[in-house]
This record gives sequence, structure tokens and C-alpha cells, in this order.
Amino acid sequence: MWEQQVAFWVLAVAMAAAAIGVVRSRNIVHAALFLVVVLAGAAAQYILLAAEFVAWVQVLIYIGAVVVLFLFGIMLTRAPMHDDAGALDNDQRWGGLVVALFVLGVLIALLVNAFGGKKIHFSNALVSLGRTSHVGTDIFRVFVVPFEVVSMLLLAALVGAVVLARKD
Amino acid sequence: MTEFYRQYLSVAVLIGAAALMFGAMLGAGRLLRPNRPQPEKFITYEAGSDPVGGWGQSNVRYYVYALLFVMFDVEAVFIFPWAVNLKSLGVYGLIEMAVFIIVLTLGLVYAWRKGVLRWA
Amino acid sequence: MTPPISTPSINWLAISPEIALAAAGVVMVMLRSVLRRRPITMPLCVVVAISGVVAAGAVEYRLWQVVDHHRAISTVAGMVRVDLFGIFLGVVVLGATLMTLLLSVAYLRREGLDAPEYLALVLLSAAGMLAMTTANDLIVVFLALEVLSIPLYVLAAFDRRRLSSQEAGIKYFVLGAFSSAIFLYGVALTYGATGTTSLTGIASFLAHNTLLDQGTLLAGIAFLLVGLGFKVAAVPFHMWTPDVYQGAPTPITAFMSAATKAAGFAALLRVFGVAFPLYRADWRPAVFALAVLSLVVGSVAAVVQTDVKRMLAYSSIAHAGYILIGFQTATSRGREAALLYLFVYSFMTVGAFAVLTVATRRGDDRHSLDDYRGLALERPIVGGLLIFFVLAQAGIPFTGGFIAKLEVFSAAAQAHQYVLLVIGVLAAVVTAYFYLRIAYTVLTPGEETSSAKPLETPRRVDVWSGLVLVACAALVLVVGVVPGVFVHWARDATFLL
Repeated sequence: MWEQQVAFWVLAVAMAAAAIGVVRSRNIVHAALFLVVVLAGAAAQYILLAAEFVAWVQVLIYIGAVVVLFLFGIMLTRAPMHDDAGALDNDQRWGGLVVALFVLGVLIALLVNAFGGKKIHFSNALVSLGRTSHVGTDIFRVFVVPFEVVSMLLLAALVGAVVLARKD
Repeated sequence: MTEFYRQYLSVAVLIGAAALMFGAMLGAGRLLRPNRPQPEKFITYEAGSDPVGGWGQSNVRYYVYALLFVMFDVEAVFIFPWAVNLKSLGVYGLIEMAVFIIVLTLGLVYAWRKGVLRWA
Repeated sequence: MTPPISTPSINWLAISPEIALAAAGVVMVMLRSVLRRRPITMPLCVVVAISGVVAAGAVEYRLWQVVDHHRAISTVAGMVRVDLFGIFLGVVVLGATLMTLLLSVAYLRREGLDAPEYLALVLLSAAGMLAMTTANDLIVVFLALEVLSIPLYVLAAFDRRRLSSQEAGIKYFVLGAFSSAIFLYGVALTYGATGTTSLTGIASFLAHNTLLDQGTLLAGIAFLLVGLGFKVAAVPFHMWTPDVYQGAPTPITAFMSAATKAAGFAALLRVFGVAFPLYRADWRPAVFALAVLSLVVGSVAAVVQTDVKRMLAYSSIAHAGYILIGFQTATSRGREAALLYLFVYSFMTVGAFAVLTVATRRGDDRHSLDDYRGLALERPIVGGLLIFFVLAQAGIPFTGGFIAKLEVFSAAAQAHQYVLLVIGVLAAVVTAYFYLRIAYTVLTPGEETSSAKPLETPRRVDVWSGLVLVACAALVLVVGVVPGVFVHWARDATFLL
């Protein structure tokens, strides 16, 4: 399916450009907004892989929650919000490069190891597997306990946050 | 092209049109508006009060709002798969979801009674 | 109209202990919302908290009867598996939780901290630990790990007036979140390699299939080991331990050192014992290294400490090394030794930290060795108990500590792990040095300088803390004198499948 290939490459190039924008931007808020583009691109890639539910979770959790927390983090700290190259640069480019290359190497090795040469054929069964209703059936049929545990987790997190942020 | 991708093609077209319109409006604004950057313009807007002073750029209290948002964001993620299966899950699903939502609501009530939602 | 889906059958009894604790925690949050700061709130919360733990304990007892006579209960689509192993460690967790709650009553009043949230967070954390002891699915293990950790991050930082407490919270949070992410990555890789997250499912997949390429699975196993190694404070994943144990409120330190360790080892023993027994040859060398490093670093670093809480933190790392020896053997004899050690260790460490809680004054910040000089002369009972608990940890005969070390060593000998045996014995000698140093300091009279007398304020120990001290001492003593019963229980609890 050539359309899928075209869409993949368009998204991949846009994501890579935005990812460079995240690290190159002189304004930390702009960097966070570039991150939104990267994450949205990832969501679109999930759609291309017929993983519909994962794509929308990506939008809700990453673009919704994680980026909002980033922006709050920027606001709560003394991070400079205007274009200021000096304040954002802490001279760790080479260290960053090493870590980035290491992670890239590990991911390539892992993916080639696990899926190298395999072809996943697109089918309606694959699409229905990624559909929200399928995930819902799984959550309520198999993963009920984890589901309810999540509510406890969120309650604990909220109580903890209120305790730590309280004024008195 | 399968039905699945055709549906999402329309989504992509919509997003593209929105981005185009958005970009056009901002671009037009950029061409027309004067540009006089001042450091004061980068100060956090905090409902008109002065954010200068203290350690951070805004009050730690706002952090709880962000966390409440995250909490209910995660809740929404779990409501979707329940909603599309509403009929087949029946009463069982309703009870499971009710427990989930009630626990989270208790958290909200706690935050409210603790006074973190109050301004001032 | 789609047909109704099949709902999983739920054995409510099997998940009741967790429900009891979580419900008590939720009720406490409600109480705090409704009653706010009325004088009745605090006693009411204590009653709710303790009844939650007691109810959970009663259910564990009933479950023990059921499982002992029939067989392990597997319920909620195989997510939860209640067997004697889970019940044994569940009882350890509940015991430590009860002690922590009782210890906290007077502590919270003395320090003027917000009681309902504190108690609710302890209960929610304990609910996560209990879920960990019976989890039969990597997703449940991960969520239980998070439910037990997130309240602990907050509890470590709970005494916000003390900078060291805030530091403890931040350090624990950053490193803990990092280790949780590593664990989750391990879960993902394991799922990628085997196609399931169920522990029994992984085991049967690996038994019936030969993986052509094992890299993904081995990386997954390694990440799981790292994530759980962090929770049980095994070297080299122990960096947070001294600072967090020192900075956290002392009853929380007791809770962390006993209950978290029990829950972490529950997950380690179960995940590796149930899911990856066939990969024993791959993970045993790694556990060997963890055990050796924990023993060496824990015992040597403890010697140079001057703060008693830090000393006990390093000693808890060394204790983790002993438990890892039992784990490393990968035999049921070794599991039995690890379980018994966890049981005894929990009450020894809770007892020691309970003494530190009642011996210090408001502020909870005077824990250097000098502050304890002459404690046994001024307050013979409290000081004597401290000596008892540190000597028990050193492993002198007629205490549970001796029996526990003996069991570990004989398990290592039986599995022909003589290197571990020798290192364990050497570490015991080194740790004995600083335990004796604590005992010696407590017995030497301090110089009569004005400022160095911080231990004079609380003359009387409140009844609940006293109960904790007596109960811990009695348990440690009973295991030492009549070990047969406890060894028998631990042996029954070793059958994972």
C-alpha cells in the first residue's frame, strides 16, 4: 500500500523536524509546543498501524496531560520564558549526543531483532483488534482488577499532591 | 485503500484545513501587527496580580489544578472503552465504572473541602 | 445489539484483604472531607485505620484456612493468585502496617502532623503491598508497585518543616519513578517476547516454545530485576536508601524498611520463581552479584556512619543481601530461608525504628550516635530494647535473627553456594561490629554537657508505642527460642505453583 508509505514518510519527516525543534529552540515554551507536534505525529503513526485506541490515548495523555504538566513545570520553576540562549544551554551537548546515539542503537537492535524481515499484513481483524471496543472488552473482561487499582492510584496521587502543596 | 484509512483520511483533511486556516490567520496578523519586544511581555499573566517574587514564576497552588486535570484526563481514557461497549457490558460494567468514578469524585471532594479550589 | 460479554468470576474472599485496606483509606479521605479538623477526626481515623488492618488480617486468616485445606485460589481471570506464599508475606506486610499505625499515633501528636492523610496514605500503600503479594500478572505487579510507591513518596516528605524530609521525598520520587519506568519497560519487553503478561502464562509459553532469539526476553528479565531490585534496596540500586531512611519520619522509615521490602521480595520471588524458572541459569548470576554487592556495601558502609538511622539503613541493605542469597539458590529450601528471614527481619527492624521513634524528642532530627549515648542508663527499658534489637539483627543466638541467618546459610550450603556462604558469614562479622558499637554507645554514660542531652524530654512511652516495642521483641524472641513452628510455616509457604 503506497499511500501508507507516503503517509508514513510525510509524518516521519515532520516528526524529525519537530524533534530537532525541541532541542534547538531558544524558547523553552516553544520547545514544549514542538514536542506536541512530535507526539501528535506519533499518534498519527499509530493510526497508520491500525492501533486506533492507542492513538487516541496518545492524544489524551501525552498531548493533554504530559504537555500540560510540562508547561506547569516551566511556570512553577524559574525557567526563562523568553528567547535566551545562554540560560537554556548547560553545555552537555556531547553527553546528550552519546545518550541519544546509545538509545538509537538499542532501539534499532531491538526492533531488527524482534521484527526484522517480518511483514505484518493489513486485515480487518487487525483493525478490529485496535478498536476501542475491543480494548474495552478486554479491560472489563480480563483486566478488571488493574482497572479498579488505577482509581486507587489516582486517589493516592491526588491526596499526596494536596498534602504536599498545602499552605498551612 | 481500506475503509479504516478512508475514514481517517477525512480526519487528516480536516486537520490540514484547520492548520491552514490557523496559519493563515496568524500569518496575516504577523504581517499587519507592529513588533516591539519588551522583557515585561514575557512575564506570566496571573489574573492581573503581580507574579514577581517568591521562588517560582507562579503559585504552587496552581499545580493542584494541573493534577486534577490529569486525574480526570486519565478517567476519560477509561470511559471511552466503556462507553463504546455500554450495552454489552450492562450492569456489570456500570458497577465497575461507578466504583471507579466514585473513588475519583471522593478525591475531588477532598480537594474541595481542603480548600485548594478556593482562590485568594 | 451485541451479546453481553462474559464477566470474570470473582472470588471476593480472595481480594478482600486489599479491599479492606483500600476501603479504610477511602473512608479516611471521606472523614477528612466531612469532619475537617474537629477534635473527633483523629481518634476516629485511628479506629478506622486499625479496624481496616485487623479486618484484612482476619480475612488473611480465613484465606489461610481455605488455601491450606484446598488449593491455591486463582481468581479474576487469573490476575490474582492467593496461595500460602502470598498469605505468609501478606501477614508480614499487615503486621508491619499495624505496628506502623500504632507507632504513628503518638508520633503524629508529638510532631503536630496532619493525621488523616498520613494514615490514609499508609493504608493505600499497604493495600498496594498486599496486592503485590498475590499478583499473578505483570500488569498487576506494576500497578501494585505504583500504588505502594506513590503514597510512600509523599509520606517520606510528609514532615515538610524538616528539610531532610523534603529531600528524602524528592530523592525517593525521582529515583523511584525512574525505576518504575525501567520495570515497565521490562514488562513491555517480556510481553513482546512471550505475548502475555500473566506469570503462569509466561511460564507455560516458555515451556512449550523455544525462542529463536532470546535477546528481547533476557533484556526484559534484566529490567524487571533492576526495577524490583530498587524497591528492595539491593546494591547497586540502593543509592536512595540512606538519605530516604534518614529523612523520612521515623515510623515511615520502619514501614518502608519492613513492609516495602516484604512486598518487593514477594514480587521478586514470585515473578522469577513462577514465570522464569527455566531461565534460572541466566538470572542466577545476576542475583549472585546483587547479593554479594549488597552484603559487602551494606556492611562496610554501615561501619563508617555516625547517624543511627543511616546505620540501620545500610544494615537493611545488608539484610537484603541475605534474603537475596536465599533467592539466588532458586530452590524451595532457599525460598523458605528468604521467607523466614523476611518475617524475622521485619519485626527486628520495626522494633529498632520504634525505639528511635520513642527515644527522640519533638523534631525527629536528633539521631546521631552521640545523641544516643547513655540511653540505656537513663531509660533502661527503652535502651535495653534498642540493644536487644540491634543484637538480634547481628544474629546472636536465642533471637530470631540467629535462626534466620542460620537458615539462609544452610540453604546456601545445600545449594553448594559456598562463595555466597563465606561472604555472608564475613558480612555478619563486619555488621556485628557496628551493631555492637550502637549497643556500646547506648551503655556508655554521656558527658554532662548541656546541649548534648536531647533524650531527656519524653520520659514516658505511650501505651501504643509500648505495645509495638513489646510485640516486636516478643516475636523476635519467640522465633529464636521455638523456631520450629515458624520454619514449618515458611516451608509450607514455599510452593509457588
